Amino acid sequence: MSSTLTTNKVEEFVSHIAENNLAVWNELKSIRQSGLKAIKSLKFPTTRDEYWKYSRTTKITKNHYHFSQLDSIKGDLSKVKIEGLDTYEIVMVNGFFNAELSSLPKNDIIEIKSFEECTTEELTSYFSQNLDTITNFFSALNTAYFSEGIMIVAKGVCDKPVHVIHYSEGNNVISQPRNLFITEKNAELSIIKSSINQNTENFFYNSVNEFFIGENSHMNYYVIQNYEEGMNVISTNVATQEKNSNFSAYNYTLKGDWIRNNTNIFVKGENCESNLYGAYQPKGKQHIDNHTIMDHIMPNCESNEHYKGTVDDKATGVFNGKVFVRKDAQKINAFQSNNNILLSDDATMNSKPELEIYADDVKCSHGSTSGQLDEEAVFYLQSRGLSKESATALLIGAFLGEVVEKIKLPELKDKVLEMYGME
Amino acid sequence: MISIKNLHASIDGKEILKGINLEVKAGEVHAIMGPNGSGKSTLSSVLAGNEDYEITEGSVDFMGEDLLEYSTEERARMGIFLAFQYPIEIPGVSNMNFLRTAINETRESRGEEPIAAKDFLAMVKEKSALVELDNSLLKRYVNEGFSGGEKKRNEIFQMAMLEPKLAILDETDSGLDIDALKIVSHGVNTLKNQENATIVITHYQRLLDYIVPDFVHVLYKGKIVKSGTKELALELEEKGYDWIKEEVNA
Repeated sequence: MSSTLTTNKVEEFVSHIAENNLAVWNELKSIRQSGLKAIKSLKFPTTRDEYWKYSRTTKITKNHYHFSQLDSIKGDLSKVKIEGLDTYEIVMVNGFFNAELSSLPKNDIIEIKSFEECTTEELTSYFSQNLDTITNFFSALNTAYFSEGIMIVAKGVCDKPVHVIHYSEGNNVISQPRNLFITEKNAELSIIKSSINQNTENFFYNSVNEFFIGENSHMNYYVIQNYEEGMNVISTNVATQEKNSNFSAYNYTLKGDWIRNNTNIFVKGENCESNLYGAYQPKGKQHIDNHTIMDHIMPNCESNEHYKGTVDDKATGVFNGKVFVRKDAQKINAFQSNNNILLSDDATMNSKPELEIYADDVKCSHGSTSGQLDEEAVFYLQSRGLSKESATALLIGAFLGEVVEKIKLPELKDKVLEMYGME
Repeated sequence: MISIKNLHASIDGKEILKGINLEVKAGEVHAIMGPNGSGKSTLSSVLAGNEDYEITEGSVDFMGEDLLEYSTEERARMGIFLAFQYPIEIPGVSNMNFLRTAINETRESRGEEPIAAKDFLAMVKEKSALVELDNSLLKRYVNEGFSGGEKKRNEIFQMAMLEPKLAILDETDSGLDIDALKIVSHGVNTLKNQENATIVITHYQRLLDYIVPDFVHVLYKGKIVKSGTKELALELEEKGYDWIKEEVNA
């Protein structure tokens, strides 16, 4: 009985979204139908599901949403610009590509095209390759009803980073962008993802990005999350690495009411390097959840993961990092660490580092710490004339700064340091 | 400059200071000596405003102000400087950034403009030379990976930058070899003038060969039990503390 009810809830939720006929529905019918098929067999996740144990999704699923294509926007995109850094820009408004606001490359090194322009072969070789649409409701939802999608292919060493700017505006709007990023053999590409929202209430942003890092190629993916109120965000990123490749994913969360990031890397070739860095600082009643999977399938690879956060007021932080070392993945060096500082008695941090090793010749470590600010250090700084607030800010900056310093683009690093209130 | 009257302080309900009386005037150097556990470091922590200690009785007048009414940072801005026995390592915070913030917040509290970058750098150059502190250390994180001697020299360097009225040196000599001791003492002596004062807390008479005190006090069981001139320090070096303990316990 209860199962029938739950299914009805999902159907009702989806029917409101489906009522808005998506323009590109027909062209991508087979892909969307695979998502739709998955949704039909799924229920909304609950905290009884291990994957969603610390993040309640009812605040998302209790509402009804519609897609909203805007002719003009109220927000100012210039605030996410990175001073001194020249980039290509892809602007997506409520999940739909906006050509007017974008500035695309005009060369043979980077190819950017919409899914409608892609061949069936291109789409099927990259779409939903390692995306878990079987059990993850929100990945399936995006697959069935992604608003629009873009494929970005780097064929060589790109001269400028690609800055993808996601703009959100409206009440009870759903935005489901879907992008594919590909570096072909020997290519190099840096991607920056920024977000802006204005006049949002009950806005549900559910994005999926898939990354394919070809042989001997390099890709860096930087995410800056700095949301104003009214946004619930699920951001899913799935990367697949071929041999001798290098992929780094950086996630910096400044603020946001409710955010869940899933970042999963599958290493399918030898001699790869993978890096995962993140910082978060939830305050007030914010909820910031980072889930990662680092899956070593092949031998002779290295991965480094470091997430750091400060949790203040009544906010909640979640970190769940899973490292797999499969049976054939010998000679793996895999490091994972999560450090947290709780700044208030009412703050909550749930940290769960997990390591599953099936190979016998590997070097792996993982660790998690959650503590308070070093009171002795605060006193030391105060004894030199710094106010308690400045001393605290300086120490938090030093703590989170360690993972911000990992950013390889100096101009972007300066911007993120400034956003966190560091020098 | 500072007048401490009948100061009692405790931590976790245990009384450590049991009625300290001490008067330090501008231009003077006072040494406080005493056996382990007598309350020397507690006195310096209490004067710097460490909130772990509870003041149960007494008063401290600093240049006409009731010092105990002020927070740690306010005391620092008024001109109290504590050179820590164990300087704290602060990874991620650069020495320069930290010092500039400290100086500018102090200036702001006095209604002054922030220090110009050029003036700050000139000051750093001059003051670091005073304690022979290598410039590469200044760019590093506060005390992180510094040797014991480097940490203590960094304390005196900070003191030189902040130009306090009253400097309290808490066992600055402990763990220093003779060369480092000379450098640190040279720094302290150079900074000394008729407008400021120094309280030197130490276990060993050796330091007082270099920083010559006007007065020497012996702290024992939370009280100053004997005061004298620098000859008292020599006597303590020769005879130890037992004769003082006997006098007090008699």
